[in-house]
Amino acid sequence: MSYLSHSIQNTMHHQKTPSSEDREKRPKFFINDHIDILVEILKRLDGPSLGVAACVCRLWSTLARNDSLWEHLCFRHVSSPPPSSVRPVVVALGGYKRLYRVCVRPVLSRLSDSDLVRRVWTRDEVQLSLSLFCVDYYERSGRLGGGGGGGDSSASSLMFLCNTVNV
Amino acid sequence: MKRDHRDTCTDQNGSKGEYSSSSSSVLNGKAKIWEEYQDGCGDDELLAVLGYKVRASDMAEVAEKLEQLEMVMGSAQEDGISQLSDTVHYNPSDLSGWVQSMLSEFNTVDGSAIDDPLFVAADSSLITSIHFSNSHQIENPASRVFHDDSEYDLRAIPGVAAYPQTHLDSEAESRRKRLKTSIGSNSIGSNSGVGADSGFVSDPARPLVLVDSQETGVRLVHTLVACAEAVQQENLKLADALVKHVGLLAASQAGAMRKVATYFAEALARRIYRIYPQDSLDSSYSDILQMHFYETCPYLKFAHFTANQAILEAFATASRVHVIDFGLKQGMQWPALMQALALRPGGPPAFRLTGIGPPQPDNTDALQQVGWKLAQLAETIGVEFEFRGFVANSLADLEPSMLEIRPPDVETVAVNSCFEIHPLLARPGAVEKVLSSIKAMKPKIVTIVEQEANHNGPIFLDRFNEALHYYSNLFDSLEGSSGPSQDLVMSEVYLGRQICNVVACEGQDRVERHETLTQWRGRMDSAGFDLVHLGSNAFKQASMLLALFAGGDGYRVEENNGSLMLGWHTRPLIATSAWQLASSTESTR
Repeated sequence: MSYLSHSIQNTMHHQKTPSSEDREKRPKFFINDHIDILVEILKRLDGPSLGVAACVCRLWSTLARNDSLWEHLCFRHVSSPPPSSVRPVVVALGGYKRLYRVCVRPVLSRLSDSDLVRRVWTRDEVQLSLSLFCVDYYERSGRLGGGGGGGDSSASSLMFLCNTVNV
Repeated sequence: MKRDHRDTCTDQNGSKGEYSSSSSSVLNGKAKIWEEYQDGCGDDELLAVLGYKVRASDMAEVAEKLEQLEMVMGSAQEDGISQLSDTVHYNPSDLSGWVQSMLSEFNTVDGSAIDDPLFVAADSSLITSIHFSNSHQIENPASRVFHDDSEYDLRAIPGVAAYPQTHLDSEAESRRKRLKTSIGSNSIGSNSGVGADSGFVSDPARPLVLVDSQETGVRLVHTLVACAEAVQQENLKLADALVKHVGLLAASQAGAMRKVATYFAEALARRIYRIYPQDSLDSSYSDILQMHFYETCPYLKFAHFTANQAILEAFATASRVHVIDFGLKQGMQWPALMQALALRPGGPPAFRLTGIGPPQPDNTDALQQVGWKLAQLAETIGVEFEFRGFVANSLADLEPSMLEIRPPDVETVAVNSCFEIHPLLARPGAVEKVLSSIKAMKPKIVTIVEQEANHNGPIFLDRFNEALHYYSNLFDSLEGSSGPSQDLVMSEVYLGRQICNVVACEGQDRVERHETLTQWRGRMDSAGFDLVHLGSNAFKQASMLLALFAGGDGYRVEENNGSLMLGWHTRPLIATSAWQLASSTESTR
């Protein structure tokens, strides 16, 4: 992880000092020219880092919005890969980025005391997250139909996930 | 640096309307606050953001005074606030000074009679211990009105820095442990240093009334039970007097105990004066209340998830499935089941749902609306869906033939009832009729969730005691829940209506006839059903679900001979069980 942040910092450094660097030596590597490598790097970030990366520049923001990155994030540490039928359901219910934000991240952080990243999911936790995600969609659809809240507000029955737990 | 900050403090003028401007001046001084943290002389940052200036070292004092103020104001209200003078109280954002001035006014107005509103009874044995303190010493430790369960110790959030430990804290710890009553209570609201009761009595010149609230709590329960006894013996005069006592005693309590006592007192009063609550035909209102209850605490979610797990396992190989829901309400149970069916290995079955509900007062078709929402969801996740709604005043009015159930080789049937069967006990013969209807539907599985309590005994006093214990636990579990306070209040109203029904109503009106799992097992067995064990998957899911709830360490999932119970600490509160037809030929699972 430190290597990645280091590489990100290097990239930023490159962007910040164009002229002085140019005169002395031409930069040999500019990450934004190699989008496939950039995507590979982004795929390995954890949730908060991915969110931060999305704020770097427009290109990174566009890339980070790609739902497949978040799909990797959601299921990266599942012991067995989820069946292919999962993706269309998740996409229909709001996408992986939302799944991560609303369900996966709170479930993971509540259920594990150790490091968020290295933990391995169990199938049951995946199943629970998906169920809660579906409940979230159902409540949102009801709310929109009734002329209520914004499309992105979390459903109230999942408020218990959003509220802070006593640390 | 410090002086600058104080200057901005003294700048502001009293009224609350101006605190927005004062908070901006606070923000300027924020950087300075951090540096002042070390000596503990700075203002508490959290309150400062709201516009209240309270020094961190004063927090415990201010909290204590606020408690006293609330107590005194609560009792003063019964005699009318008019006795307050026209003193103007300035600067509420200087919380410490403002509370002091309010308290001093109450003290001077009521004078030595301050104990009167609280203990109006001529019976002096009700006055437990009142101390007038004129010293700096910490008073009788049991006189703390609030005791903090260490789980909810707000100290933990900002860390020790904000609440400077004093040498008194170790004493406070041991005191706190002694104070834990069997019915726990939490402190009222305030964000200030609840945990740090390094309490020092501030003003030696002013007499302070300290109430021994633990004793009062015990007396409160005794008075409630005594009142119920009086009602049982039809001694209505005595019951009336006792009910009024309960109101006064309840005012001195905090948290769950106060709320429970208030609801029970109201229910008793209704029973005594025969002002029965009108039968709420307004089911949409009770639906709303139940929604808030659903959101606040895990009981309904537990019920849904465990029942769904049993249904899912029963539907393992079926290609067309039909669920009959005895109480559709908002249909919150079914999205999760549909999602699990959608992701079933081998693809989803065709899902048919029959929802049963009570008639709506305004003739809207609530069932169809819910059905439509579910249909939308089904289309989104790719599950073939069919819905029918049935309006019925009582489940006993249903005939299986109305439901158009297809034969077992075409569709697999599940019957689900969440808290819908116990009202049938109000009419003789209704339960038996419904159970035989269920049998006629030939379900593969029947899931039943009910409250785990016996509120249907023949003797009123026994019912009362059971209910008191049950709802005390329930309210206690709600106290720790986070979330908008409106949800909490609505959940309490929801439970309050149940309490009212159990205590105040009789005959056909008393529909909250809860029975224990053992009793339901007996009924199901004699009606011709066999128990189906809920698997470990259900247990795991339930445990995970509970772990997600803030304050979740109090909840317990228990397995009881194949059924699951959810409880608060040692007391089970709701139970899920699954059943199949006895000696049925297609019962291979």
